[in-house]
Amino acid sequence: MINALLITLLFIAGIYLMAVMERWSLSGSLQWAGPARSFLRLFVQEEIKPRKHDTVFFETAPVLFIAVILLVIAILPFGKDLVLVDLATGALFINAALVYIMVSLMMAGWSLNGVYGMVGGWRSIAQLIAYSMTVVMALTATVMRAESMFMGGIVESQQTLWNILYQPIGFILFYLSAMAIAFLPPFDLPTADGELAGGAWADFTGLRKLLFRLGRSVLVLTLSVAVTVLYLGGWMGPWLPGFVWIFLKTLLVAVSFFVLGRYLPRIRHDHLLEYHWKYGIPMALLNIFIVGVLLIL
Amino acid sequence: MMISVQLILLIILGLLSIWFGWRVFMTSSMVRSALSLLASMVAIGALFLVMEAEFLGVLQIMMMGTEMSIMAIFMMMYMMDPGGLGEMDMTHQKNLSIAAASIFSLIIAIVILAVGWGPLATEIPGPHEQNRLLGMEILKRSMMIFETAGITILTGMIAAITVALSIKNNRN
Repeated sequence: MINALLITLLFIAGIYLMAVMERWSLSGSLQWAGPARSFLRLFVQEEIKPRKHDTVFFETAPVLFIAVILLVIAILPFGKDLVLVDLATGALFINAALVYIMVSLMMAGWSLNGVYGMVGGWRSIAQLIAYSMTVVMALTATVMRAESMFMGGIVESQQTLWNILYQPIGFILFYLSAMAIAFLPPFDLPTADGELAGGAWADFTGLRKLLFRLGRSVLVLTLSVAVTVLYLGGWMGPWLPGFVWIFLKTLLVAVSFFVLGRYLPRIRHDHLLEYHWKYGIPMALLNIFIVGVLLIL
Repeated sequence: MMISVQLILLIILGLLSIWFGWRVFMTSSMVRSALSLLASMVAIGALFLVMEAEFLGVLQIMMMGTEMSIMAIFMMMYMMDPGGLGEMDMTHQKNLSIAAASIFSLIIAIVILAVGWGPLATEIPGPHEQNRLLGMEILKRSMMIFETAGITILTGMIAAITVALSIKNNRN
């Protein structure tokens, strides 16, 4: 019970920090009250629905988006025994849930029946299909080393050497793919504010938009925890308790996401897909091969 | 008590998957159709989860999400369907389809009733043990099938990447 409360508190603090940093990455100034103001504004905003929208998809997409992300965070450990649901197929489950982010974005973009939304929706599907491939291939290599799909098992396999050093190629691939899956800048093509006016979210207002925005913050936090657990030794660290270590490492990963996003230009859509399919996939295969050889040696 | 809850869930999910399967043909848009099929497949994945086959359930839900999205994107590329306003009919060759569906339903029903399914499993191994057993199955009895499929896919991937990389025939 206390564990669940602790996880929830850490989680809420984390989401708020993500939202603050997201604003920083766009505006360059730290506005501590910004997310709260934004939350209240969206909470009371008038809900405008586009003409001839697809009702089922329009209503389902925001809920599906945030629901699948909450499912992922439920299986990630915040400490040695601090996990809400300890799944035997944890590593696979992460990818299974992330796939539905793509489905919800596609539903969102298509349901609006407008140009920007549609382009954003289809862009997101192309981007997320591509990058969930590298995520699952990088995950495979971590599972190979741990010989277990339990998230706890993967952390414990890093007792001697963290995966960031054991499989650096996998780390780089997972890190960049995580950014692409959370469509953070410079991979923010599905929502691309500058060119698509919000893309897949273009015509969502009020509570629905709030669910999307909140979901995105949770998604960034989730993927940062995933990077921490899979590659940075999870709760391992001297002196401090495990959950503090996970929290600090997660924040570090998230900050690095936003800093990279602030200083890199947005990648062109065709380049984004080209880099992935032509170079990302061979690298991921190479990573699996190297880890396999290291494990046999 | 537990068994009855499981049974009720199984029935509900089974009916859901059939209902979404039916919706595939009743919508007027490719995207709605693809996503109905996805919902049907997810219901089947949930059936696996209810039957405590965790790995199969998660795998089914993951694979179908990607596959149906790819299907939707290809259908859109070929046929366009802006916002589902195209009023497309998802059915064709109705008499033939009805005949084929009836015959196959009959065959499936006969198979279900005729096959001896063996005794009911009294205890189900834990999810972790199931993963191990699945690995053993794949790398022992079914090794030939899975390795053939695996190597074929890997070769396909490498070939596709090699063709796409224009290192040798770079016209620029």
